[in-house]
Amino acid sequence: MSDHTQAERFAPESAARTVLILPGWLGSGPDHWQMHWARSYGYTVVEQNDWQRPRRGDWLARLDEVITDAPGSLVLVAHSLGCILVAAWASFSRHTARVQGALLVAPGDVETPELKDRLPGWAPVLRQPLPFKSILVGSQNDPYCRADRAQDMARSWGAQWLDLGSAGHINADSSLGAWPQGHALLQTLMKE
Amino acid sequence: MAKIFCIANQKGGVGKTTTTVNLAAGLAKLGQRVLLVDLDPQGNATMGSGIDKRNVELSIYDVLLESASITEAAVLAEKCGYRVLSANRELAGAEVELVQLEHRDQRLKTALAAVDAEFDFVLIDCPPSLSMLTLNGLCSAHGVIVPMQCEYFALEGLTDLVNTIKQVHANLNKDLKIIGLLRVMFDPRITLQLQVSEQLKAHFGNKVFDTVIPRNVRLAEAPSYGLPGVVFDPSAKGSQAYVEFAREMILRAPSL
Repeated sequence: MSDHTQAERFAPESAARTVLILPGWLGSGPDHWQMHWARSYGYTVVEQNDWQRPRRGDWLARLDEVITDAPGSLVLVAHSLGCILVAAWASFSRHTARVQGALLVAPGDVETPELKDRLPGWAPVLRQPLPFKSILVGSQNDPYCRADRAQDMARSWGAQWLDLGSAGHINADSSLGAWPQGHALLQTLMKE
Repeated sequence: MAKIFCIANQKGGVGKTTTTVNLAAGLAKLGQRVLLVDLDPQGNATMGSGIDKRNVELSIYDVLLESASITEAAVLAEKCGYRVLSANRELAGAEVELVQLEHRDQRLKTALAAVDAEFDFVLIDCPPSLSMLTLNGLCSAHGVIVPMQCEYFALEGLTDLVNTIKQVHANLNKDLKIIGLLRVMFDPRITLQLQVSEQLKAHFGNKVFDTVIPRNVRLAEAPSYGLPGVVFDPSAKGSQAYVEFAREMILRAPSL
């Protein structure tokens, strides 16, 4: 099934909702499924001020600003550091009621020594339950987050856990193309 | 005990940051121990003190969120002779993160209390908008220094600021008052500026500082070299005026 067919099929149900795409550290390239979705369905990519050196406060303020300005109810689609951002934002913002759901894919484990050094200020991962419905998709061989750690985050956040098997970091290198299976998950969040 | 002053004006582009860095440098030049607190996410006072905001490890953001003390986060601006609690874009996040926390408007005040004995002056560069950040500055300070250009619309921004200060004084900080208005970018050849200057004197009396900062190209050039004019070109008229203003502040401080 092509992306466009899906877009047409789901358009009436998603009309009142804005989908925000939240890439991770360094952004998502053109072959990343997030960018496929942005192109095919017209979803809004949250452009951060600095992709190279992400600062939590800066990213958080930017997300809050975009959410404040966006119309209707919102569904968030986060990848990697974007997932950690969603958890941090949801812990502090006054605007969480605007969000209907979140699809969180391959969270980056910013508590590992390697990422802690490279992404200062992001650890610890905020663990409060998310005040909206969420699905967390992880993989068994993600170099940036062990599956048990991702599952643990899902438990803390109250997210439905979904194991994608050996899918690496679930990014452009995972050869997922437009990842229709992921988009079907998003649709479940948008319907409810 | 440190004297703590906000440099504020709700009108943008009035020479607020120029005043903060040059007053800090002037006070340091006169032997005072100075802490500059950059409360503006744009980080211009940080950059204007020779500190690269992109490479800052700990900043005012960490202090407001209580993940670092001022002693840990403040760095010495080596060429300027004062310490800086720096800011960058990350500080914008504090607006979101503080909003649901207790005593959110008192965070800076609490942090400054711990270093009170280490400084003679603390100068806080506030953002032009009235935000949680500005409120933290106003709640910490003994008073506000208002830089202003002697132009027709200058008084409009002043009305907003005076109302804000009144509200903070009534509800949050009984110490807070306007210390004085500093006339900046002054050009005596322009009749309107002379007239507005006289009006300010007539209306605000001794709340107008004696020192006047002239319009001076060297002050404008200095930020591109990452230095206050007072350090970049000490002989420039604008720089000398800021040192004179620092002297005036030292004389006034005991009574403030």
